[in-house]
Amino acid sequence: MSDNGDRLIRVDMTQQTVSIEPFPSAWKLLGGRALSARILLEECDATCDPLGPDNVLVLAPGTLAGTAAPTSGRISVGAKSPLTNGIKEANSGGNPGQDLNKLGYRVVIVTGQPTDPDKRWGLSVSADEVKLVSADDLKGKWNYACCEELTKIYSSKASFITIGPAGELRLKGASVACTDQDSRHPARHAARGGLGAVMGSKGLKYVAVDPGKSRARKAADAKGFAQLCKKHTRDYQEGPQMFKHGTSSVVPVAQMLNTFPTRNRVSGQSPHAESLDGKRIVESFETRGGGMHNCLTGCVVKCSNIVHDAEGNYKTSALEFETITLLGANCDIGDMDDVADLDRLCDELGLDTIEMGAAIGVYMDAGEMEFGDAEGAKRLLKEIAEGSELGKTIGNGAAAVGKRTKHHRVPVVRGQAIPAWDPRPLKATGVTYATSAMGADHTAGLIVNPGLPEDQWAQASQESQLINAVCDSSGFCQFMTPTLDDIRTFIGYFLGEEITREQIADLGWQILQDEWEFNRRAGHTEADDVLPACMKEDPIGPAKVVFDVKPELIAQAKVRMKPREELFATKATG
Amino acid sequence: MPKVMIPPPYRGPTHGAAEVRVDAATVRECLNAVEAEHPGFGELVFSANGELQRFVKLFRNGEPVAKDGLDFPLAEGDEIEVVAAIGGG
Repeated sequence: MSDNGDRLIRVDMTQQTVSIEPFPSAWKLLGGRALSARILLEECDATCDPLGPDNVLVLAPGTLAGTAAPTSGRISVGAKSPLTNGIKEANSGGNPGQDLNKLGYRVVIVTGQPTDPDKRWGLSVSADEVKLVSADDLKGKWNYACCEELTKIYSSKASFITIGPAGELRLKGASVACTDQDSRHPARHAARGGLGAVMGSKGLKYVAVDPGKSRARKAADAKGFAQLCKKHTRDYQEGPQMFKHGTSSVVPVAQMLNTFPTRNRVSGQSPHAESLDGKRIVESFETRGGGMHNCLTGCVVKCSNIVHDAEGNYKTSALEFETITLLGANCDIGDMDDVADLDRLCDELGLDTIEMGAAIGVYMDAGEMEFGDAEGAKRLLKEIAEGSELGKTIGNGAAAVGKRTKHHRVPVVRGQAIPAWDPRPLKATGVTYATSAMGADHTAGLIVNPGLPEDQWAQASQESQLINAVCDSSGFCQFMTPTLDDIRTFIGYFLGEEITREQIADLGWQILQDEWEFNRRAGHTEADDVLPACMKEDPIGPAKVVFDVKPELIAQAKVRMKPREELFATKATG
Repeated sequence: MPKVMIPPPYRGPTHGAAEVRVDAATVRECLNAVEAEHPGFGELVFSANGELQRFVKLFRNGEPVAKDGLDFPLAEGDEIEVVAAIGGG
């Protein structure tokens, strides 16, 4: 058992009981995604109904969350996904991860299901007690209104994890929201895979975490850890700071590389690349207000933009590259204000912007709505909250829309929409989409290298998947771009023992294996390690490339390769 | 000869090459020489009016190259690193 006072919280939603247990010492290296995968493999029947009582919802801060390590406080949400029918982990910024770990709670494990599906509950976590409280009065509340109510109930230090109406309706595109550290807006989302629906299926509307007077977790080697934090902060601040203006600044690069998907991915370049360039957002700071900030305490990257409307009022945060691509270019919507409205609606309802952009793109491509109809797209999202049949279909994601419209072009892998980074010009990224247990997910292993030789695709994908798995377990944000050597050094100082290269590489591989094993038990086979027909048949870019990677090459990414020296110095990217 | 380090997103034109050695006297000449050898690289780095793309950053021997530093003279063996932002969010 744990010898440092760390604990875990178990919540039984069938009985509405809460228990606290010591955090097993065998799990000391595990946090975030690694911990979620291990718990799901050990405690969740992989064949269960994802929206039934046997699914397990895991809320796991990264190993270094709550410490002074810069930009390291992310929290993983894990469960069997109703979208992919496989294991899912999505992680988020904001402060809940920091606050849970500062209180010594390394993970919250939610099981069971209330007999009355109309009841709502909140989990209140503080230094004094952990308890379930009734949240019936918040039923159906949109995320911003919900959090506003919670700020009246809880202390000014508390952070919140919430679901919106989409989660309560158990829709497969539903996200789990986390509050920003400053405004406490529900603007950060563990968005992918429909994990909000799992939380909704358990009747859990929110988790409130009040850190009280708790302080940053102390490292076993406090001096060494502090020096390391200082060095990495300085290195980052003296470096190129490529996300100084947010991920939206990537738009022109993606456009040039033919990976700015347009009109349900029939093109890799958009005529709206200028108006959707993140530069427009930065320019708006001058006239409308808003600006850049950090979503969680202790972040030095500060990549999150705060976007205001024409009247100077807060509209949304953060308007990211993926959101701009899927809800903008992919739907042929070229007005940044419209995209900001759509982003806000997704955050309000608790929806994955990637899945919604893809779903609406398929709907438009099927001829059900004109491409570029921004008002129509907003109406569709509002229908989700109203619970109409069409709204439910959109809220269930791109695959559901494809099924309803019988449309042939449905860009999903394992049922989950493909993100902006396109697997046709970026074939190693396509190998990741095919082999990752997560389905198509750029954070699972992004390789933006169009010149990479074919014989390196599988290795690049495997290495990137392994590095990102460790990163997502550590609590570090991928935009801090830590290497495996960085992460093992931080954890080593924190625990007061050396973490070797072999150990950290083995940890990464174990995470991937745990996830693949869960999916195997859930019924996934090698036949699922494929990209959809539209990626193999519809060419993109001037070179008219398709995803034509052979199955045997894709399969190589799941066979462990001998770790190379470069593995430990390659930066996480997502 | 100065060496130009190519970031992964820009290795399409270089067919995967991570570094290119060129005969050049300034930073700008260096990048133009890479374009001459690997057509398509230049437009990733320079805008139509010949200015450095705002999403590209350059480092000379580890030190940032200022926007007005493109004509800075180079010494034998200097390393120019091109950095490009990539990430999803």
